[in-house]
Amino acid sequence: MDFFTYVGSQLDQLVFYGQQHFLLVLFAVGIAAAISLAAGTLLHTNRLTPDSWKRPVRAGSMEGLLIVSSAALTIPSLALFGLLQPVLGLGATPSLTALTIYAIYPVLRNVVAGLSSVDDAVLESARGMGMSPLRRMLTIQLPLAWPVILSGIRVAVLIIIGVAVVAGAINGPGFGSSLILGLARLGSVNSFNQVLAATLGCLVVAAVYEIVFWIVQRFTTPRGIRV
Amino acid sequence: MSDSGKPMIALEGISKTYPKSTAPAVQELNLEVPAGTISMFIGPSGCGKTTSLKMMNRLIEPTTGRIVLDGADVTEVNADELRRKIGYVIQQVGLFPHFTIGDNIAVVPRILGWDKNRISARVDELLHLVGMEPKDYRHRYPRQLSGGQQQRVGVARGLAADPSVMLMDEPFGAIDPITRERIQDEFLELQRQIAKTICFVTHDLSEAVKLGDRIAVFGPGGTLQQYDTPDNVLTHPANEFVAEFVGSGAAVRRLSLLELSRLELQTVGLDGTGDRNGSPTYEADAEGRPVRWAYLPGTEVMPKLVTVPHSGTVYDAVDLMLDSQTELVGVVDDQQKLQGALWWKDLVEGLKTKGQV
Repeated sequence: MDFFTYVGSQLDQLVFYGQQHFLLVLFAVGIAAAISLAAGTLLHTNRLTPDSWKRPVRAGSMEGLLIVSSAALTIPSLALFGLLQPVLGLGATPSLTALTIYAIYPVLRNVVAGLSSVDDAVLESARGMGMSPLRRMLTIQLPLAWPVILSGIRVAVLIIIGVAVVAGAINGPGFGSSLILGLARLGSVNSFNQVLAATLGCLVVAAVYEIVFWIVQRFTTPRGIRV
Repeated sequence: MSDSGKPMIALEGISKTYPKSTAPAVQELNLEVPAGTISMFIGPSGCGKTTSLKMMNRLIEPTTGRIVLDGADVTEVNADELRRKIGYVIQQVGLFPHFTIGDNIAVVPRILGWDKNRISARVDELLHLVGMEPKDYRHRYPRQLSGGQQQRVGVARGLAADPSVMLMDEPFGAIDPITRERIQDEFLELQRQIAKTICFVTHDLSEAVKLGDRIAVFGPGGTLQQYDTPDNVLTHPANEFVAEFVGSGAAVRRLSLLELSRLELQTVGLDGTGDRNGSPTYEADAEGRPVRWAYLPGTEVMPKLVTVPHSGTVYDAVDLMLDSQTELVGVVDDQQKLQGALWWKDLVEGLKTKGQV
């Protein structure tokens, strides 16, 4: 059976895997983005650390959180899925948990970088006009940091599309299980087609996300700072 | 100069010592800015002029002392609410790049909860005031404007909620010299209309002399050395430090304070209408505008007739003399009629202002 005949015969299954993969990435990055935005803004405004702490300690604790989240990214993905298995079992829940942990760093890093990149003169004039800290964050800092934050989310999505394949090892949703099965029986009937279809499936999911991001970026970047 | 008015904003015994620093940045500062006047803060870098300005709207909290705004102690009130009552303009402008010009100007009125129509009318009024056509500019973004235009919007934004006090931190410092000159003139014209109480930090003595009703000279350790009219600072420096700071150019700078309309000028006559004894005469064209000198006592070769408007200063007249290499300039009124003449030797022999004997 050639590749196209194989894809034709498995189309329903592949579309289903594709939807699962897309949603798994969506939820993982979505949750990670929510956590990162909250933590990043709080870190940036020094709201996570008590006022009594000395300045270097507060700055250190901000770096600390970034280091922890970046360390999480270096844990081998297969190992993390395995380590979560005794606690969370198999399937969607541990997959989503692990992927969320991986997605936090790229987003958090960009939230912090984006907020730091806002021009000091803009912030000073905002303060000088009597804008409260909350108003400054919502109307000035976050909108100006948004393009940088969005690119962090985009990077996270691309990373997670790849890592999500490993979720197949613990029966997670998406192309993973199909790909791992195909690799395991490489050499037997249609195994190569199965691997190729799952790989291309991931690329299609990535392409769909790229289109989504292009649209989101177009409509959420404030006009005055659109390049 | 209405220096007699009661202070609109005053600092009373203000000091600021930064954490981890033993020497105070500002020491025991007492400063009263009379309502409707411009006070220029000047001094070498690190002398506390910007710190003093920023303590007025509490962007920097003073260590000790009181801030009094229009008779009320505002040292302890909510800082954000205080700042909404005080206009603030900085050198880098700091317009919000993602807001249109109109939205930038409307920031404080929106926070104060003005209704839409009032805000819209106010934005138009302010854009007119700073010489920008509302329908051309209110929907543009800051990056589409030149530096000078951005600073005009910055000033308009500071004025938005009609604050009684404006704080300006080197607002024209980053603008090229030619545009700066023009924007300073516009600013003085604007102040004539709005009569705000303005505190203005500058490092440019010429700017301080040109714009200020009063000049506050800051010295080392954040101490106020002298707070007086530009004329007095230049002619009667309070101490060695001020004398050295205003420097050897003080006498020349003073020329730019003296308007020609205030001077007793050499009288001149239209040639052929009287005798030629004593005062110079000139020939005029059909509209009565002076064309050339006809007779100058004791001179055979007539110099070129150059004129300067009487709204100009002695500085402008001297500039013209040097530029055109003549010893005298004609002073003309708004209708281009010759009012009198100013000689080079008058400068050295002492200028007479009207009313003096």
